[in-house]
Amino acid sequence: MKKQWKRFFLGIIIFVCMFLGIVNENVAAYNSGHLPRLVDEGDLLTDEEERRLIEKLDDISGRQQCDVIIVTTGSLNGKTTTEYADDYFDYNGYGLGNEKDGILLLVSMRERNWAISTHGAAIDAFTDAGQEAMTDQFIPKLSEGDYLDAFNQFAELCDDFLTQAATGEPYDVNNLDSEDSIFAMPGVRIGLAIGSGCLLAFIVVSVMKGTLKSVRSQAAASSYIRPGSLHIIKSYDYFLYRHISKTAKPKDHNSGGSSTHVSSSGSTHGGSSGSF
Amino acid sequence: MAKLLEYKCPSCGGALKFDSSVQKMKCPYCGTEFEMEALKNYDDILNQEQPDDMKWETQAGSEWKTGETDNMIIYTCKSCGGEIVGDQNLGATSCPFCGNPVVMMGQFSGDLRPDYVIPFKLDKQAAKDGLVKHLKGKRLLPKQFKSQNRINEIKGVYVPFWLFDADATGKVRYKATRVRAWSDEDYNYTETSYFSVYREGEIGFEKIPVDGSSKIADDLMESIEPFYFEDAVDFQTAYLAGYLADRYDVTVNQSIERANERIKHSTEENFAATVQGYSSVITESSSIQLSNGNAKYALYPVWMLSTTWNGKNYTFAMNGQTGKFVGDLPLDKGAYWRWFFSLSVIFSIIFYAIFWIAF
Repeated sequence: MKKQWKRFFLGIIIFVCMFLGIVNENVAAYNSGHLPRLVDEGDLLTDEEERRLIEKLDDISGRQQCDVIIVTTGSLNGKTTTEYADDYFDYNGYGLGNEKDGILLLVSMRERNWAISTHGAAIDAFTDAGQEAMTDQFIPKLSEGDYLDAFNQFAELCDDFLTQAATGEPYDVNNLDSEDSIFAMPGVRIGLAIGSGCLLAFIVVSVMKGTLKSVRSQAAASSYIRPGSLHIIKSYDYFLYRHISKTAKPKDHNSGGSSTHVSSSGSTHGGSSGSF
Repeated sequence: MAKLLEYKCPSCGGALKFDSSVQKMKCPYCGTEFEMEALKNYDDILNQEQPDDMKWETQAGSEWKTGETDNMIIYTCKSCGGEIVGDQNLGATSCPFCGNPVVMMGQFSGDLRPDYVIPFKLDKQAAKDGLVKHLKGKRLLPKQFKSQNRINEIKGVYVPFWLFDADATGKVRYKATRVRAWSDEDYNYTETSYFSVYREGEIGFEKIPVDGSSKIADDLMESIEPFYFEDAVDFQTAYLAGYLADRYDVTVNQSIERANERIKHSTEENFAATVQGYSSVITESSSIQLSNGNAKYALYPVWMLSTTWNGKNYTFAMNGQTGKFVGDLPLDKGAYWRWFFSLSVIFSIIFYAIFWIAF
């Protein structure tokens, strides 16, 4: 009997220790606000890659005081990608500061969908146009299966966007165009300058060349019309038919800013989604 | 009983059918709808069309009087075969068409006597000045061309012209469009309305000149137009003294076609000027009927210089009445590329500076 009791107590102690250990680990993570900023449920990265990416995300989040989170998942459990991303953010205690500032990128492998959810100050830092510009760059890499590259680029873009937002003018329709514009690249500028220069020079020398030519046929005989001899006797103007063509107006992108929605927990999120 | 008519679609040419749902004629091919009234009017105009009738009385020129041509000598160019007429005292000269020395001489005979002549109003000095001015400021002209020019060899030549007078009745049909554009929230609309426009009227032409010499390019002579007939006088051989006269070798009948072209074009153009309020006006058909058409033979004064440069012949002409100077000039290709490259560099730098400041 003694032996049995011993075993029982030992079992309970071990069980309690294990339980406490798990709780402690969780509590530790929760208290410091740090569930891992990379949750790779879809298992797209190797452990080494995960470790380095988490370091990077931690570094950016710490510097910018805004959580940058990447979550990959196998299944969405019947939610939309946006709902899943919002809930993941809300129920896992992400977000830094009073406003719980943070941005979360969710990649769902089964549906091959992605969603970005922003919260707090990140809503304004990542405008609709800004998110479009970001995703235009890294989503193609997701499509190609280049996950590590895509996530690294997402992290770097977030860093860049948050730095820009800190100036008080986040990337938006009005400053994105000029920033992204190929016109800003020095090579393009030189090429364009040379192109227009040559074109203008060609026009000028063509005009100079044109002065050498002065012999031209006269199609009409207007100089020989007897003055006052033109009389119109009959004139009709009949309407025949009409054609109407319509073209869709280009959508007005000038408004800018960020659109928001409310998640199941009642908090306000910004974001965007799509498939890859 | 109503006649069964087949209307053709003015838009695409297909046969139209009546569409009872819209109570209009509709083209089954292009989908365009037409009011019955519009089609009827359009058809009436089409039925009135007739071909051009451009006939001429061509009693141009007259016979020479006895003894009138005694002093006149024909100079024939050995090089180009050009024939010019001059008086006996003119002496050795060079061909105004190709610049070669004229050697053969012969007694003038045949040809018609001109009806009119416009005597030279501008002298040789004016012609030389005209040439100098013509060559001035042309940066792509080869420099040697200027210096080598045989400016003294500029010659006064009476050029034979056939002059055409006529009254024209024109019936011209135009297709005109009017464009209206508007937009709502989602779309931009462009409405193009098509009109059939008809103009019928009269117009008179006086003394349209057509070059009667095949040795002198027609476009060169048309380039120094207009000649003003007010200065013309009845022909007298005395006016030829000191000048050359070209012989006509294109008959009046061969010249009619060119006169008709210009009359037709001018009529369409002048009638079109009365078609207003449209975005575009295109001539669809025109029919010209001429009446009182007659031709005359006249000599018009032209200062001419022919010169050769790098194996190519360049001819200059100045209107001896108005002083208008023309003549195509050779291009200095080296200068052309030098200018192009230096301007390209300058403009490129300017553009780059502008881009730098603006963006």
